[in-house]
Amino acid sequence: MSYKKNEDLDSGPGGAVMDKMTVFQDCIAGFNASPIQPRKCRVLLTKLTYLLSTGDTFARDESTRLFFSITKLFQHKDIALRQMVYLVIKELATSADDVIMVTSSIMKDTTVGSDVVYRPNAIRTLARIIDASTIQAIERLIKTAIVDKHPIVSSAALISSYHLLPVSREVVRRWANETQDTVLAQKVFPQAAYGGAAGGLGIGPAGPASSFMTQYHALGLLYQLRSHDRMALIKMIQQLANAGSAMKSPAAVVMLIRFVARAIDEDRNMRRPLYTLLEGWLKHKSDMVNFEAAKTILEMRDSTDAEASPAINVLQLFLSSPRFVSRFSAIRILNRFAMIRPQNVNVCNIDIEALINDPNRSIATYAITTLLKTGNEASVDRLMKQITGFMNDISDEFKIIVVDAIRSLCLKFPSKQASMLSFLSGVLRDEGGYEFKRAVIEAMFDLIKFVPDSKEDALSYLCEFIEDCEFTKLAVRILHLLGEEGPSTAHPTKYIRYIYNRVVLENAIVRAAAVTALSKFSLIDDASVQESVKVLLTRCLDDPDDEVRDRAAMALRLSATEKPIAKEYLSPESVPSLGALEQQLILYVTGGPDAASIAFDISSVPFISKDQADADQFRAKTMATLPILGGTSLDSGSGAGSGGVSPSKTPANIGEDYAQKYATSLAKIPELQAFGALIRSSRPVQLTESETEYVITGIKHLYKEHLVLQFDVQNTLPDTVLEDVSVIANPSTADDGTEPFVEEFIIAIPRLTQESTGTIYVAFTRPSGEEHAYTGGVFSNILRFTSKEIDPTTGEPEEEGYEDEYQVEDIEIGVADFLVPTYVGNFQHMWDQLSFETSETYNLAGVGSLSEACSSVIDSLSMQPLEGSETPLQNATHVLKLFARTLQGGKVVALVRMAYSAKTGVTLKISARAEDERVAHMVVGGIA
Amino acid sequence: MSWFWNFYEFILSLFWSSEMDITLLGLQNAGKTSLLRVLGGGEFTSDSIPTIGFSMKRVRKGRVNIKCWDLGGQPRFRSMWERYCKGVNAILFIVDSADPATLQIARMEFEALISKPSLEGIPVLVLGNKNDLPDAYDVDSVIDIMNLKAVDDREVSCYSISAKERTNVDAVLSWLVSKAS
Repeated sequence: MSYKKNEDLDSGPGGAVMDKMTVFQDCIAGFNASPIQPRKCRVLLTKLTYLLSTGDTFARDESTRLFFSITKLFQHKDIALRQMVYLVIKELATSADDVIMVTSSIMKDTTVGSDVVYRPNAIRTLARIIDASTIQAIERLIKTAIVDKHPIVSSAALISSYHLLPVSREVVRRWANETQDTVLAQKVFPQAAYGGAAGGLGIGPAGPASSFMTQYHALGLLYQLRSHDRMALIKMIQQLANAGSAMKSPAAVVMLIRFVARAIDEDRNMRRPLYTLLEGWLKHKSDMVNFEAAKTILEMRDSTDAEASPAINVLQLFLSSPRFVSRFSAIRILNRFAMIRPQNVNVCNIDIEALINDPNRSIATYAITTLLKTGNEASVDRLMKQITGFMNDISDEFKIIVVDAIRSLCLKFPSKQASMLSFLSGVLRDEGGYEFKRAVIEAMFDLIKFVPDSKEDALSYLCEFIEDCEFTKLAVRILHLLGEEGPSTAHPTKYIRYIYNRVVLENAIVRAAAVTALSKFSLIDDASVQESVKVLLTRCLDDPDDEVRDRAAMALRLSATEKPIAKEYLSPESVPSLGALEQQLILYVTGGPDAASIAFDISSVPFISKDQADADQFRAKTMATLPILGGTSLDSGSGAGSGGVSPSKTPANIGEDYAQKYATSLAKIPELQAFGALIRSSRPVQLTESETEYVITGIKHLYKEHLVLQFDVQNTLPDTVLEDVSVIANPSTADDGTEPFVEEFIIAIPRLTQESTGTIYVAFTRPSGEEHAYTGGVFSNILRFTSKEIDPTTGEPEEEGYEDEYQVEDIEIGVADFLVPTYVGNFQHMWDQLSFETSETYNLAGVGSLSEACSSVIDSLSMQPLEGSETPLQNATHVLKLFARTLQGGKVVALVRMAYSAKTGVTLKISARAEDERVAHMVVGGIA
Repeated sequence: MSWFWNFYEFILSLFWSSEMDITLLGLQNAGKTSLLRVLGGGEFTSDSIPTIGFSMKRVRKGRVNIKCWDLGGQPRFRSMWERYCKGVNAILFIVDSADPATLQIARMEFEALISKPSLEGIPVLVLGNKNDLPDAYDVDSVIDIMNLKAVDDREVSCYSISAKERTNVDAVLSWLVSKAS
């Protein structure tokens, strides 16, 4: 075996790049030759793997030809050739036909003695080519391999089982016992035996850490096999966690911790016992395990201060570790936690300060951004100076983290905007890729939007930037913003010059955007400005590009019309909801020729006013900067989510979104069409435990005069069919004895087959009249149905069924259903504007911390927290500022003062002001 | 002196050893895998599992090295027989002579196979296996049922064998060796 071959691989003789078809022809010829030349074939196979792994693909018939010519190489006595053959077949298995042909041949290689080097290769390949109809044939074989005494064979079998799960979960599930044995079997084999045996096989050096990899693999598989059964899972976790020294592989322990995190997330009752386990792992001898345990504790939803502090202490120790990787991991976890609970990280500030000058720039970056979050206003300036010092030395990715930290800081300390703005404009001039520039621009946009004082300066920085901007996308966005904000500034003419420069110098896309921005300046009440804009637009009519000319012509025409009309078209107050518009257009386009005969109806698309759009954006921004709590799903892995750039899972608690989601399905039901447009849909609420026989979720839909309760019923029983499934929802009677909600009709499910889901709608008339606009109520719900068992022999349900009832939890119509969280820039201004004020004091004894109280208040009122007040900065007292609009558009603000003491829990005083007295009362009363 | 003998063997094999490829075909449960095991000098076992796809085995007879491709007989694999028959020295077609029900299907598959232009001229040996069973057909009946007399474009032979009792197994080997090129 010589390694020289690699040289003529990468760049064939004379540096020529390998050609796919040449390799293909060589392979076909080489593999079919008789007798086989193992050396030559190995080189050919290596070339083939190189091509496949660098992204080349072969057409289906080519792959198949290759595959079948490779099968001629089977059973050759050259061991290295056998291994290569397996590697290539694994690659080709997905693209060639009839790969099942090699099953028997491979099976021969998997049953040889365990010291044969190609046995693991054969096992892994076998899993790739097998299909559901033949999996039984290899069942015994894999079972034996799983419990094989050789760890590498065992690992190969476990990993293969993993890949076989999608092929046939049923069959793989039968290997659970073998897998379980393998998890615990580790202690039987002392470490030395591994090193020796693996070395004898010639498969890489088996270090002490890697020799327990099998345990990790086995645990992963075991979890997959048990994941459907929560009780078994909990049992497994507890059993393994208490096995102590049996868990030899740190990787396996880390995985176990992830399972624990998930279990805690799903079942609150398990929290206490499982937390003790996590705490124990903080003292584990492996750093990896310590980090994972600390991370899990800190990411637990509503972890209390007492729970968090041991984890923080452990991380604090690592902050002064001599190893880069430990310091990095520790500061990264603290950084994420500082986003949510800066006050808890304060204790580490001294250690973090020391890291600012760390030779590793990544660690320094995290240290500074963490300090920015935990620090107070006074220290901000000093830190900013520090950052400017090394901004040039770090990679774009970390620059983005810094910029994100600055951005959230801007929203938190609006008074510091001047120094931050100059910092941002400074980095904007530096070199950087698109993502980085985009992050800076976003931050400046936010400043303009949410910190009004910074507007003028920020705009002029942006103007400078587009003078020399290589990214079309960014230039277009900035031009749009200039068009939006420019006309309302003190010196609009300044921006016109910058914009017109773009028309002269840039490509067509930017020019078109510039023309649109320019046209918005024609709305300014100044004849001379209007005149010069008109002149500029007229010049644009000579543009070589169609789009630019069209836009210019349209703008000229509109500016000649009366002002209200021009305004409506040039800078509209509300825009269509883009998501809904897209959906409607897709429906229209796919509707076939019938739908195309009538024009698209734009009025069916909901319009969003500027206020609403702002609120949505603000919420998305604050969400995106927060790490997603409880999101430690296994697939996210440890490497995911650097700081805050993971907006993929932004939890949308906005009424708007839910209404959009359900509007289409509700509109299909003829009985509900008469109710008019859907005003609001609530988020789905679980009405049963998630592991009961019938799983029910409820959703409230509000119409102008009606209320519709939607029940999604899932029949989880495998052997019972439900018929005539309906929900009897009883509204509560009001204080004065009347029944405000009157039932209209129920749309039941005629038949719900086993393990399927159906939907029931119950419609009510809402109390009419202005005085009842905010009347709520409680509905007690009973599921009623006829259940019929399925005869196991025929598969048909039995004739006779019996009627049954099932009590589910109540649905409440309360404050949250009448309020829409809305963003507003200035809380104090809004507070002073509104007249009716009421207040009330409550004591929440069961609440363990201020942040818990904050989130529960925000949740139950469905109002928008302002000025970053949703995260308490101190442990003892906090002021929460909230704003919302009612469904009718009325404004309401609330100021919640809270105090926490360990003895009495949280005491809070809520004061609400609104345009309408009843709304203020409703908000104040909504907390109880 | 051992190096001398090794050298001598090597020289001999250069001139005398020859390599040949054959394929074993037939419906499922005809006894292909068992026959191959016996041909290779192994013991007969009755509990072999169905071949999925194919398996390959080398058999050495004198100075001839025979590479045997044993193909699965289930319907889903029959379409792939042709691929493995191209360019082989001989085809062994095995039928279960004690199972009249399958013989008709075997004949159809056989005729379909030898009508393929790519396999023209390749000598075929039809084997009526399991002649140890009481009501097995004899050689002449197998020739009749398989309609072998109608094949005129190639050499066709037919033996009645038993892999279990090793009846006629050596004759099969000799036939194969005679086809070595």
